[in-house]
Amino acid sequence: MKQNLARAFSVCALGATLAVGGAASADDTIVNNVRDRSIAYAVSGGHWGIYQTGDGKAECPDGLNDVGPRETFKMLFPDDGTKRSVVDTQLAREAAIWAPEDKEYKFPYHLAGGKVGLGLNLDGKVGPNDFTTPDGEKGIDNQLFRAMGCLRWLRGPDGIGYHFSDLYMKQFNYNRALIELTNVDSLADDPDVDVTIYRGLDSLMADATGAKTMPGGTQRIDAKFGQKFITHLKGKIVAGVLTTEPVKEMYWPFAWFGGNPGAQHILDMRMKLKLTQEAANGFIGGYENLEEWYYGLARGRSTHHLAYGSVSAPGVYQAIHKLADAYPDASGKNTAISMAWGTDLTQVFIQRRPQEVAAAPASAPSKSEPAGGRH
Amino acid sequence: MRLVSRFTSVGVLGLVAGIGLAACSDSAPNRPAAKTSAVTAVTQYAGTPARVRRMTPDQYTNTISYVFGDDLSIGEPFAPLPRTDGLLASGASSAGMTAGELQQLQRSASQIAAQVVDKGNPGERTSPRRDFLVPCKPAALDAVDDACAAKFIKQTGRLLYRHTLSDATVTDLVGSARKGATELKDFYAGLATVIEGMLIDPGVLLITDTAESDPNHPGKKRLTAYALASRLSFFLWDAAPDDALLKAAESGALYTKKGRAAAVDAMIASPRLAAGVRAFFDDMFGFEEFVITAKDPKTYPMITGQTLVDAREQTLRTVTDHLITRRGDYRDLFLTRNTFISPTLAPVYGVPSTTGWSPYEFPADAHRAGILSQISFLALHSHPARSSATKRGKALRELLLCQRVPPPPPNVDFSAVENPDPTLRTARERLTRHSINPVCAGCHKITDPIGLALETFDGAGRYREAEKGVKLDTSGSLDGKTFNSSEGLGQALHDHPQLASCLVKRVYSFGTGGPLSAADTPAVEALSTAFAQTGYKVPDLLRMIALSDAFAEVVEIPPAPAKSAAAGQHQVAQ
Repeated sequence: MKQNLARAFSVCALGATLAVGGAASADDTIVNNVRDRSIAYAVSGGHWGIYQTGDGKAECPDGLNDVGPRETFKMLFPDDGTKRSVVDTQLAREAAIWAPEDKEYKFPYHLAGGKVGLGLNLDGKVGPNDFTTPDGEKGIDNQLFRAMGCLRWLRGPDGIGYHFSDLYMKQFNYNRALIELTNVDSLADDPDVDVTIYRGLDSLMADATGAKTMPGGTQRIDAKFGQKFITHLKGKIVAGVLTTEPVKEMYWPFAWFGGNPGAQHILDMRMKLKLTQEAANGFIGGYENLEEWYYGLARGRSTHHLAYGSVSAPGVYQAIHKLADAYPDASGKNTAISMAWGTDLTQVFIQRRPQEVAAAPASAPSKSEPAGGRH
Repeated sequence: MRLVSRFTSVGVLGLVAGIGLAACSDSAPNRPAAKTSAVTAVTQYAGTPARVRRMTPDQYTNTISYVFGDDLSIGEPFAPLPRTDGLLASGASSAGMTAGELQQLQRSASQIAAQVVDKGNPGERTSPRRDFLVPCKPAALDAVDDACAAKFIKQTGRLLYRHTLSDATVTDLVGSARKGATELKDFYAGLATVIEGMLIDPGVLLITDTAESDPNHPGKKRLTAYALASRLSFFLWDAAPDDALLKAAESGALYTKKGRAAAVDAMIASPRLAAGVRAFFDDMFGFEEFVITAKDPKTYPMITGQTLVDAREQTLRTVTDHLITRRGDYRDLFLTRNTFISPTLAPVYGVPSTTGWSPYEFPADAHRAGILSQISFLALHSHPARSSATKRGKALRELLLCQRVPPPPPNVDFSAVENPDPTLRTARERLTRHSINPVCAGCHKITDPIGLALETFDGAGRYREAEKGVKLDTSGSLDGKTFNSSEGLGQALHDHPQLASCLVKRVYSFGTGGPLSAADTPAVEALSTAFAQTGYKVPDLLRMIALSDAFAEVVEIPPAPAKSAAAGQHQVAQ
């Protein structure tokens, strides 16, 4: 039994550890979770890349959107004594979600403005519609922020969409994306690391405060139903920040709601994450196909849920089509929109079954692997 | 209920060791001619006082599980026992029971009885326990059936009372079942009243060392066969005897060397031995303290309630694996790197885990060797938000070496510890202050040099090499043996002559049901010698004790409880 366990852990647990990655934490305990030149993280939170200021005036000069399903319904169907059928009212509005008309939206819908935004520079250019990050990086492509940034629903920490997206990342194992870095010589600087995305299978462990996810958990890989989530990327680490090269597409486990497992299908995807021994956080950037993304929202969140954040689905539909900035179709109309997904990850160990060990992207042996690590 | 009054007449008055039961011994303990054979040498010593002990909570639970199945909800029938002479088990021989505790016990008994005669509920997928726990079907559900009631009472009563019931007792209990069935118009409800009564009967709850004249040693007393069976079973299995052991008692086999050896060997070979070994070490290590142990979640967010539960379990698994499965040297418990890991422990150790428990061997460079470096010892003997070299040193001496560290004087000034000088960054720097104060220094010099070697583990048991940025100095000494690391401390403890003898004392107390007296010294010394000759194999020690004359012979209670070295307590050299 011990042998089997050792084999299962052969990639991530046993053997020498890298002193280069080790660090004394604030409380002096020695933390080195880079084992056999590998470290892994599991998703423990997530939210859209929405830049926010305290009063929202900088990014939403026209104010936050306050005309959602309830408000539009009242405008369309005032309580004036007119007799109306359910088909002509409630069902008509529901139909408008599933078959939104591609014409001018007639209710107020505020887009985000300003020049500051979060995310990644996807095209390597600095364009007129691009944002600049708060720390000065220019050329940020995140038109989804422009479309959605003034919806209370997505603004943290109390927006319903923000709160539940983050909660579901922790709560639903379906959303347990894993990121494994291999061939890591240093978490601080390494010009060449391999990054693999998987879907994990296991729950996270809350710490004793109940508010945070505890690092050091163990995750199994969903090698059966999670094949479409497996994505390989090349990356580099500079000053503790991992930046990957883009891949053509990636599926990111994403259950908008508990009973609606699905995925974010991100085109031209890459990531930028700040790494520590116990956590990683940053952004996944790329382009979302408009139709896939919109119907993901519609399927995942009912009118009931959207109404709590004054989100008018038809309004969103109009906005994302208006701001789409990539993947033009034959007619020249863009079919995808730039986006950034903020992700929080917590360090985990990956436990591989013996048959998975051989297929794992094992790190090449390091030239020098001094012993160390947290025990 | 009449049975309650029977209990209270004994129980509330307090169960003082040996009340009215001490048998007389008219000869001095035999001394061995030579300690050539471990087993033969120790079997020549006699004996222990006859005692009345209250079942421990685990013994009660294990017994109920054996008799009625382990899926019953038993509740919390007992209050904690007082720790006496290093063991809770020894406190069982001087424990009383208040009326409130009796009510708690009766509630539990009532719940158990209801579950035993449960008719099941197909909708809730619960099985009708009555169909397999009651060995017959009544002629009618709503009427009396004396024959069926008698069959159940004889079978179950024998296991609960740990002896065959007399005809008069069976008749009495059948009468109770009849009365209950008549009044409640339900055969099983009548039976439940009898079960409830048995479960709170002093004859069930109290383990009584009944004695009789020993025909093989005129003038001496020995445990009756049933009492010997109970002592063996509670010692090795932490539960009442099973059917086979009761049969061995009834046949007289326990009074023959061959028969007793066969019974003991079968018990040691049984998987149920693990329960006995776990109970003993849980008691010896003071693990009942886990119930009231908590860590500051802000300082140690990785220590959840489940972490502490698992920490206790980890050490008990390590102990049973090392001592029983591997038949390892007891002293190597303080060096072994083999253990078990659960998902909640893994983050504290910084290692991967699997779902549930899995065996794990710490790498040689992991600084984790022996149970002193496990979370159970490190976290239990620390403060809620910081480590404690003093607590760890004290625990090591008292729990593992049977030494006694005097309590702090009543007028001690704790301000240096509770509001430490911020310029003192390590525990060693802070504790050095104690050496300045002669009132403190006397005790701290016997605890701190040990505990400081474990300062590389914080109050949660996580490994560290520095405190507040200052590299930790883990050098120290244990009774003359110096070391410079936690592994060195483990080795020093491994080599300490009192380590094994302390275990022998504790096991002997655990097995014989009470604190040691001066009269036990020869037996304990001989057992210690024999234990060494076995290579410090605990199953062999259990066997030697179980087969010793001292285990079965009854002597008069010594005139006064020993507080000296004879009782296994040693004042630490100042």
